[in-house]
Amino acid sequence: MRQEACNLLIDYFNNQLSKEDKEIFEQHLESCESCQEELKELEEFTEDLPYMSESITPPEDMKARVLTNIFASEKEEDATVDQNKKAEPEQGSNVSSFPLEKRKSKNKNWLTPLLAAGLLVSVLGNGILVMNQSEDTAESPEIEQEESLDRTQLSAQLAPSEGIEASATATMVEKQNSLNLMIQANNLSALEGDQTYQVWVLEGEKPYRAGTFVPNEEGFGAVSFEMDQLGDHDWDVIAITKEPNATSETPQGDIILSTEL
Amino acid sequence: MSSHDLELYSQIQAGDQRALEQLYDRYEKLVYSFAYRMVKQEALAEEIVQEVFMKIWTKKGVYQEKKGKLSSWILTITRNTSIDIIRKNKITTHTFEEWDSLKSDQTETEDIVLWKEKKEKLKIAVRELSEDQQQIVQLFYFKGFSQQKIANTCSIPLGTVKGRIRLALKHLKETMKNIDERGVNDETRGV
Repeated sequence: MRQEACNLLIDYFNNQLSKEDKEIFEQHLESCESCQEELKELEEFTEDLPYMSESITPPEDMKARVLTNIFASEKEEDATVDQNKKAEPEQGSNVSSFPLEKRKSKNKNWLTPLLAAGLLVSVLGNGILVMNQSEDTAESPEIEQEESLDRTQLSAQLAPSEGIEASATATMVEKQNSLNLMIQANNLSALEGDQTYQVWVLEGEKPYRAGTFVPNEEGFGAVSFEMDQLGDHDWDVIAITKEPNATSETPQGDIILSTEL
Repeated sequence: MSSHDLELYSQIQAGDQRALEQLYDRYEKLVYSFAYRMVKQEALAEEIVQEVFMKIWTKKGVYQEKKGKLSSWILTITRNTSIDIIRKNKITTHTFEEWDSLKSDQTETEDIVLWKEKKEKLKIAVRELSEDQQQIVQLFYFKGFSQQKIANTCSIPLGTVKGRIRLALKHLKETMKNIDERGVNDETRGV
């Protein structure tokens, strides 16, 4: 038995064991010094090998896609403590992943809004500034962490207004019964005092608050917003403004980034 | 740099999205390139990058300092995720595929100096392995084959696989160490 378990080392290292065998081996590993030794040796012997890879430049928009998907996912608060001892080698097979085909369908949609977005800046212009100020939308922004990413309904690049260097992507994700809007922005200018960046969704000319965020020192900011709390609407536009504080019920600042839906 | 890594990691543990982004920026290229080396498909390499950082973010994998460098840990996750993807997608690559990086270095604008240095050393070290040894490292490490599959592919008894892997890797590591001592240039001239 002992001898047999020792023979699982290579397949353990290569993540090739069934769940049962993996458990058997991990149990064995705790008491078998020679396996501990050999495993450590394998790790040391192989630690440089990844650097054998030719360096390849990733697709430019990969970062936005990956981070948006990650921040849309739930944080597993419960997984912190108990997993410590089994952290390495980290066994990927136990981790759920997004269905590949769904992510792919998103990629296809990616470019179209990007091309269209450029045309929209002039259309939108200063429209929001003169919008009806009397409308009252009491919803407060909330940052939500999602359980799973079920279906990406929309993914669009927001176009920067004139003189703005920033870029942002909007992703609408449907999960189970709710719809979430994720915004991720880069190169945002720094804020002063209580200023925040505010996401708005517009139906016609009426703006609704859809997430508030503050970027980091690198100008990166992200926010996720549960759309269902706004009720049923046909959204026309997503826009981001800079607001004097986090309480603006209607846009006070200029549009920084926007896209038509 | 590695202390900065640790700082970032603890911020990520606390749920700091900006810290994850910084870590992402730091390792995106390396993880992507290594994943590509394993699966040879861009779309899958991206899938792997996402899963790796997802695991870091969702704390499905927990790093401990005593286990070594954070970069090594990230690369281990990358490799394990790649092996999973290879299995799930039933990717088959040519068994006798060469070490592609031995052929030519197409990366003129290498932006990570250490990476390039290591690669140069590795190339030299791999050349010192016998063909059989090169193959077994390739099958074991970069293809993530099971012990049985390695035995079948190399036509060697199952019981000898582990020992051969160990020997080849050890040889590689020792050669690397020698190169460190002698310097890359001497080694290149000697060959």
